[in-house]
Amino acid sequence: MTKMYHNLPVKAYTGQDWFDREQQTIFSRTWRFAGLVEDIEGPGHYISVQAGLNNLFIVMGRDHRLRAFHNICRHRGTQLIRAVGKTQKALTCPYHDWTYDLEGNLISVPDEASEFPNGIDKSCLGLKPASVDVWRGMLFVHPDPDAPTLAEWFGDVDPFLGPHHPEELVEYAEGRNSYEIRANWKIVVENYIDVYHLSHLHSNTLHMYDHAKAEYGWKGPHYHFWEPPSAEYAKNHESNIPMPRTIPEPHVGAWVPMLFPGIGIGASEESWNLFIITPLAPDLTRIENRTKLANASDWAFQTQQWKSWGFWKDFGGAKYQGDDAAGEDDPMASGDFTTEDIYACEQQQKSLKSPYLEIGPAGVGENPIIQHQKVVLEFMQDD
Amino acid sequence: MQRDFHPLTVSGLQKEIGGAATSVTFDVPQVLAGLFQWTAGQHLTVRFLIDGIEQRRSYTISNPPVSALRITVKRVENGIVSNHIGDTLSVGDRVEVMPPFGQFTLIPGALQRRTHYFFGAGSGITPLYAMINAVLADEPHSVAHLIFGNTNANSIIFRDPLERLQTQYPQRFTLRHVLSHPSMLSWFSPWRTGRLDADAVQAAISETPPVAQDTQYWICGPGSMNSDIRAALQNLDVPADRIHTESFGGDTESDLSVSGVAATARIQLNGAWHDVSVAAGQTILDAARSVGLSPPFSCQSGVCGACVAHLSEGTVHMRNRAALEAKDISKGFILCCQSVATQKNIVLRFED
Repeated sequence: MTKMYHNLPVKAYTGQDWFDREQQTIFSRTWRFAGLVEDIEGPGHYISVQAGLNNLFIVMGRDHRLRAFHNICRHRGTQLIRAVGKTQKALTCPYHDWTYDLEGNLISVPDEASEFPNGIDKSCLGLKPASVDVWRGMLFVHPDPDAPTLAEWFGDVDPFLGPHHPEELVEYAEGRNSYEIRANWKIVVENYIDVYHLSHLHSNTLHMYDHAKAEYGWKGPHYHFWEPPSAEYAKNHESNIPMPRTIPEPHVGAWVPMLFPGIGIGASEESWNLFIITPLAPDLTRIENRTKLANASDWAFQTQQWKSWGFWKDFGGAKYQGDDAAGEDDPMASGDFTTEDIYACEQQQKSLKSPYLEIGPAGVGENPIIQHQKVVLEFMQDD
Repeated sequence: MQRDFHPLTVSGLQKEIGGAATSVTFDVPQVLAGLFQWTAGQHLTVRFLIDGIEQRRSYTISNPPVSALRITVKRVENGIVSNHIGDTLSVGDRVEVMPPFGQFTLIPGALQRRTHYFFGAGSGITPLYAMINAVLADEPHSVAHLIFGNTNANSIIFRDPLERLQTQYPQRFTLRHVLSHPSMLSWFSPWRTGRLDADAVQAAISETPPVAQDTQYWICGPGSMNSDIRAALQNLDVPADRIHTESFGGDTESDLSVSGVAATARIQLNGAWHDVSVAAGQTILDAARSVGLSPPFSCQSGVCGACVAHLSEGTVHMRNRAALEAKDISKGFILCCQSVATQKNIVLRFED
């Protein structure tokens, strides 16, 4: 009998075949986060991004419009396309210098007459187009040039994602980092959307928000979540916020949606954060964090920090202290909620291969986990 | 019939820019409502008998679909019809009107997500105004940017309603005025002065780069503006299939380099075939009318597209083809009012 983890077989979290099928049916068929708008600084600049099985290439033309192509030279498939030249109007593969224009048309083949004496029909050898679009200051790509629009994909969930305008915020460079978690990507997602654990694993790290009053749900494959500040935090709230506001009063609370597949946002009064989940292997997942803050002066940040110091100086701490902590490196003594989450995910992954594993019932606050598994199943069944 | 005239009653008249233009609203009776549906950007052909002579003109519908059927007519110096509308037309008058048509159309989609740039000048605003309204009302995930050229602040058609749109849709609509001869006495402060030229196009796009990446460019103005702005956009690598234009008067010089040959035209009109002799240099429209046929036509200058027909055999030379896009021409569409035969036998069909 197949051992189950709620709606999914446990093998969905450990097996290479599941991983490979997910790459095909989920990550190659959905809009993929590709970066922030400002990552492509201007005309001629480009980035490449892996979307499931596809390596895609985004370039900005002088009309400030983005174009996306599959990063595959039509000659021998080399993944080397780059923009070159003074005006950067051409895309080229340095292997044999085949060159394309910004619409992907093959415009030049070196030594065309001698290398291809029977002629070559350049009109059939254009770069394969993909889709690119911008939404809430983020770049998204889709391998399919005729993909459903972002309005179709995110339109219903958009009103639940908070009043933030990320494109008007400024990236906090030190908040940009990337790390790996030794767990399946779905374990990481499930941890992110598990409402039950907030009051427990993070009992001393996220209690400025009132988890009992969280409002959450689904719009299609996308999860949305909002919770208000706790009573203590809400008292003198404007002073207690640690940094200048990113959203106008009277908006308060934390918006922590998980867009499908694996695009986490964590936004609050004072910051807007991205948590991008990329599966690397059945038991290995990459996380990329980006943080944006208010476009305010150093002085404004300084004064808000002073004002809020009284609230934060005694706030939080380790889950386990003193004799309960298993030494200095115990993640449960870190006082950092991300460290706590990573530890929980990795410890869960470890037991998934145990013959004695048997998953217990899901709590009410774990409903989102059940729902996420259903979404994954639906995509896998559309195979 | 799609291209027949129907009498419509004038239900409203509104003077624009101090009487230099007039908006005319028509009452569409229920029985004609289906025939008189339109897409933003299309135009109406009106027919008047003035001093015993039949006059036809095409005017763009200046309202988005589902609102009142309205055209906005700017006076042309010595213009027979535009001044007739400005001076003589009254509420309650009946006017002969052909159902809306035209290829310069923007069809909004609720789930489309596009960035639309509109470049207009003078009365070229009329189709753009209908399109902008259609986008703002029926394409909620899209944005519209209007760069609007005029002589001075007093000659800006729809200045107030455009400003109201800006107030109503601050996140989705930007409005920038370019004035070529701003009055020193005016308080009005335009975005730029001078011509709506390549520099203005580039500045506008860099100021408001596309957010939604399905980007479309709509141009409508007089003189060489359309070709100038198209060239400016193409110089910025905008692909031709994203640029949409409509000429408003005197755009291109007629190409009279080909005189044409005498020919026999086999013409299908309303399902019947007619063999028509075409004299050397005579347009196919003139030839057809001279033998008593009544093919659709309107502006007789190649701008409106009313006389479009499909050429299935032979070749013609078009003196002007502003109403057709390159892809229309490649499919065999011709403007009969501008076409002279260049082969002895041609076959064409007016679409119903």
